[in-house]
Amino acid sequence: MATLNTFGAVLSHAIAMEAQLEDWYSRIGEDAQAKAAAKRRKMLERVRRENVVEITLEPIEGLDAADYQLDLADAAAARRVAARFYQDAAPKINVRSAQRALERCGKQHLR
Amino acid sequence: MSRMIKNYIDGEWVASAAAHSSPVHDPATCELLAHCPDSTAADIDQAVQAAKAAFSEWRSTPVLVRAQAMHHFKVMVEERFEDISRIVVREHGKTMDEARGEVRRGIESIDFAMSVPVLMRSDGLEDISSGIDETTLRQPAGVFAAITPFNFPFMVPLWFLPTAITCGNTFILKPSPQTPLSTELLFELLDELDLPEGVVNLVNGGVPSATALMEHPDVTGVSFVGSSPVAKIIYETCTRNGKRVQAQGGAKNYIAVMPDADIAASVKNILGAAYGCAGQRCLAAAVAVGVGDAYDQLKDELSAQVANLKVGYGLDETTQMGTVISDAAKDRIESMIDRSVDDGAEVLVDGRGFSVAGYADGAWVGPTLIADVQPDTTMANEEVFGPVLSLMKADSFEDAVQIINQSRYGNAASIFTNNGKQAREFKYNVNAGNIGVNIGVAAPSASFPFGGQKDSFFGDLHGQGMDSIEFYTERKIVIERWV
Repeated sequence: MATLNTFGAVLSHAIAMEAQLEDWYSRIGEDAQAKAAAKRRKMLERVRRENVVEITLEPIEGLDAADYQLDLADAAAARRVAARFYQDAAPKINVRSAQRALERCGKQHLR
Repeated sequence: MSRMIKNYIDGEWVASAAAHSSPVHDPATCELLAHCPDSTAADIDQAVQAAKAAFSEWRSTPVLVRAQAMHHFKVMVEERFEDISRIVVREHGKTMDEARGEVRRGIESIDFAMSVPVLMRSDGLEDISSGIDETTLRQPAGVFAAITPFNFPFMVPLWFLPTAITCGNTFILKPSPQTPLSTELLFELLDELDLPEGVVNLVNGGVPSATALMEHPDVTGVSFVGSSPVAKIIYETCTRNGKRVQAQGGAKNYIAVMPDADIAASVKNILGAAYGCAGQRCLAAAVAVGVGDAYDQLKDELSAQVANLKVGYGLDETTQMGTVISDAAKDRIESMIDRSVDDGAEVLVDGRGFSVAGYADGAWVGPTLIADVQPDTTMANEEVFGPVLSLMKADSFEDAVQIINQSRYGNAASIFTNNGKQAREFKYNVNAGNIGVNIGVAAPSASFPFGGQKDSFFGDLHGQGMDSIEFYTERKIVIERWV
């Protein structure tokens, strides 16, 4: 598992996580949850595209993908892991609008 | 045999008549990606004639239609954002984040061009004499060309092309032969825009192609970004041939770190400024000047963190620094580090002989940190254009400013401090075109001109911002009386 040490690595992990949730919810017929995950994925793709500013790219420390693997057999636990990831990642991003997007995703997983 | 890249002239992809070409490699994997033709004077003339022929129709196309084309263009670039970023990584060697940042910056320049209908407006005054009105008209000026560098192969062309054509000019781009693939994709998107034939043209090649453009009598103006010696040649050649020219050259960018600065936060930002794009940018931090006690703190903190930067293939999202552009660049950078050792500096983190597992033949230079660099040495004065940060010590703020102002370059300079007065003194007294306060890469956004002074810029009007509107337009004064 990789260290999430760049802006792109953090956002790409989030995008992959939401894609995983979207796929899983679709397969078990939870359409509303699948749609919400798809919406978050698309928003995160936009955030990755629009908030990467080379003048503020700085190394990120203290995040490892291994700590945020989703066990989809337990949906509630998976959502807690996702929420924890967003809570841990948001303060490490130095672009406020990207930070806000991560915070929002985290809150949605806690609902 | 890999494919030969084509030129885009008069709305068609055409093969160059070139007898020579150069290979385009992925600098990490060494994979041969394509061949770039060295377009001939006849190719260049064909492009110029197409641009010249298209000018009349294009300049009379309503400006709102031209701006709307930029809106469509932006949507296309957004849709292909990730593809473009990957191509930039593959031909240049930078990281995905850096490539995405570059594409984003390019889009900002397209955004700026959409404001041309406002920015191109001009002024007038009634009754400057009895019954006489006087008005300024701003008109497009003809065929413009840009000669762009390898280090930002997608972004730098967009500093020029969108504004030039939205102002009603026609355009010819000659990208670096080392990185022609992202501009090829750029022109695939422009082709889909369905602009009139000849409005935008792409010619690939090296020095002979550039010279043919600069000497062509039907080219009105030339924009250039590259090294200072070449910028000077471009400036002299263009002015000799009666052209407008804006030639952005190289740099040796200093960062002053004051004792009151937040060292941890400063170092984090300086890392990005010095080692981002493997130091291959004209705004890269080259020398950090520690003032007083800041020197030792800076040295300790940087030594610890520079060695931890993850160097690798740019397509791996966790890579923090990629390759330099070529083996030739690697050799040149390593020999400059050798020279600094001969000059008495201490290499704290040594990037010479660096390798990355799985990419044995890549053009790797590891992040390098050199201490005790003396003001009169090559390392203190010449552009490295690689991942090398030098440390110098200054006894006071005034000494730091003096060290910075001794440079023959004047692209950018930054200060890290919590003292507003010293920040103001720095802005006021340092002779550089872009000033950063608590920011290591002082890169102006698209609506501001990209500054540059001394040997970092040759010309009058800079790229970007209102300067670009001036550069790409001709003013005509109309004085009217109706009796």
